[in-house]
Amino acid sequence: MPGRPDRARIQWSVVAAILLTVTCWMQTRHWSGAAVAQEANKTSERRPLVLDRAPARNIADPNPVFRAIVIDAEHGEVFMANDKESAGTSILVYPTQFPPTNRIMEPRRRIAGPKTDLGMVCGLALSVEHGEMYSVSGETGTLNVYPLDARGNVGPGRQLRGVIPRASAGVFLDVKNDELFITTEHVNRISVYPRTFQQDQEPLRYIQGPTTGLADPHGIYVDSETNEIFVSNHGNWRKTETGEGEVRGPDSLTRTSLGYNIPGRALPLAPSTGKFLPPSITVHSRTASGNAALLRMIQGPHTLLNLPDGLYRDPVSGEIIVANTGDDSVLFFDKDASGDAAPVRVLKGTATKLKGPAGVSIDAKRNELWVASWDGHIAGVFPRTANGNVAPLRVIRTAAESAPLASMGRIGAVAYDPKRKEILAPN
Amino acid sequence: MSYPRISVFAGSANGTASPTRVIEGQDTLQARTSHDISVDSLHDEIAVPNPFAQAILFYSGGAKGDEGPIRIIQGPKTMLNYSDNVTLDPVHREAYVAQLMNDAILVFRSDMGGDVAPVRVIHGPKTKMDRPVRVSVDPVNNLMAVTTIQGVWLFNRTDNGDVAPRWTISGPKTGLGVVFGTRKVIFSPQGKKIIATGRRGGAPTGELFSRAPGSQPFIGIWNYGDNGDVAPWAIMPDTAAYSMDLNAAAKELITVDRGKLVVYRMPELFQ
Repeated sequence: MPGRPDRARIQWSVVAAILLTVTCWMQTRHWSGAAVAQEANKTSERRPLVLDRAPARNIADPNPVFRAIVIDAEHGEVFMANDKESAGTSILVYPTQFPPTNRIMEPRRRIAGPKTDLGMVCGLALSVEHGEMYSVSGETGTLNVYPLDARGNVGPGRQLRGVIPRASAGVFLDVKNDELFITTEHVNRISVYPRTFQQDQEPLRYIQGPTTGLADPHGIYVDSETNEIFVSNHGNWRKTETGEGEVRGPDSLTRTSLGYNIPGRALPLAPSTGKFLPPSITVHSRTASGNAALLRMIQGPHTLLNLPDGLYRDPVSGEIIVANTGDDSVLFFDKDASGDAAPVRVLKGTATKLKGPAGVSIDAKRNELWVASWDGHIAGVFPRTANGNVAPLRVIRTAAESAPLASMGRIGAVAYDPKRKEILAPN
Repeated sequence: MSYPRISVFAGSANGTASPTRVIEGQDTLQARTSHDISVDSLHDEIAVPNPFAQAILFYSGGAKGDEGPIRIIQGPKTMLNYSDNVTLDPVHREAYVAQLMNDAILVFRSDMGGDVAPVRVIHGPKTKMDRPVRVSVDPVNNLMAVTTIQGVWLFNRTDNGDVAPRWTISGPKTGLGVVFGTRKVIFSPQGKKIIATGRRGGAPTGELFSRAPGSQPFIGIWNYGDNGDVAPWAIMPDTAAYSMDLNAAAKELITVDRGKLVVYRMPELFQ
């Protein structure tokens, strides 16, 4: 009958309506009922719209880098910390002797994976005698111990948690006195623990306070013969209290080391103490404790120090060797250098291939200097007495020579500049 | 962690791209691991914090190499204390800093350097701010957002003293809170959206990436006016971000995720 839909038309209309509803639902990917709830602005009943979006693009460097560097001369192996988050942080182990090559070299062993708890691994130390390797992280508050022959996704055999401040930079094992020394940047501190520490070990002693001269400490070397501690400092300073940074729950002096899940104490608003000091190498007594004055300091324009990082002492000459990250050089200071002393040698120039050197070490058995060059994805091997613009004897590289410089480690933030159409990312 | 530096990439960069320039070196006075950065494109300036020296550093927009700051906020009057974040308001020439140590927000003139006192301080029991870590500003709609341990606190841009937040986005439905990995919060003034990272499941450890089974980070998007324990208007599931910013012209969301810069096309944020 005209004006009255037949049964088939009604059925098709119903099917079409269902299809239309399903199609709309699939296109919008609303959770069931969300559209109605959102239209009515009933936020209590809201079910989120799901925007399951693939990235349009990524900017990342997948190649590992080298930061801390330590050598097991006895077994002919070099251990290097890779703290590049986009490459997956790791400890990479290579032979110290190999034919020169410009190709990417695969490590002999790699320690990496979630079980390792490496964090942003910054510092390394070794005990050949006890078959142990020690690592600290710029992110977590732990000191990890692994077997020297560890490989793969293995957990640390021992781990120091206790009151250790978060975010360490360097670690050094004083073999003679069986003690581990750790620097912590943000609380200007050197902590000392027995090598045989237990999980909740209290430090044996620590150096911290306004008269120590510590200002954003990084690399550390301990000379057990002269009883001196050498520390590189970037120069960012604020007044710290002795004990600051220790993780003691509600009794912690500040929230600095607590992580975000422990309230700690809120401090009253108070005058700032921060200031910029020139970069330095501070020298402390090995047995110093608390707010102890430093023994001497290398600091000033003649030193050429520029973001100094890894430190080592030449076992023959006693020279203090510094990876001078900020100007792509390695500086060598006289063993008794103090004040505004110029380096006695400088390893620098295009032939060296150094870009952002962060770690140094000496293979005393083979009379060779090793330099970890962060930005260039290489570790370079030089004669121990190298000077000036000299080429490395050989390099270990993790990226092709033509690859872009590493440039980003852990990216802390991002901003877009609409005027310049640029993306800015600080480390 | 690399060393102190700001890497600058073309807005269209992709893959293993080289930075077009890098601001790095001792004279830049940066500290390792800056946790925030802000751009004032009206006045062509960049700001980053240096928590170790208790300073806010300003660079010219085109700075490169070992180029020092054009201005530094630092000194006893500033009351900066381990301040690892900064956000600029280009319209009103102000710099905002969340003070984790003091449960406070400090607001400075961004065109003045040296030992200057904040022009406003948001602090006190009425604010109910606990462990604030980042702050963002919408100068168009006069809003300020703060990420705290419990969620996102919204204030009027010009609030001062001991004031209650205008509204809060907090509670189990939100998945927000610094204990669940929330760090950066940003505004889309165009779309009147609030964007922040949260996490479903896992213990409140403060980490974005909990190892607990079923723990999933997400980016959540709320509308202006959303108040209380409110589920997001939209989510990007299984998406993590330590930090974020918007490219409004390209309708893109740019995030930082475990050492990578990740760019998403997100027109919904601007509608």
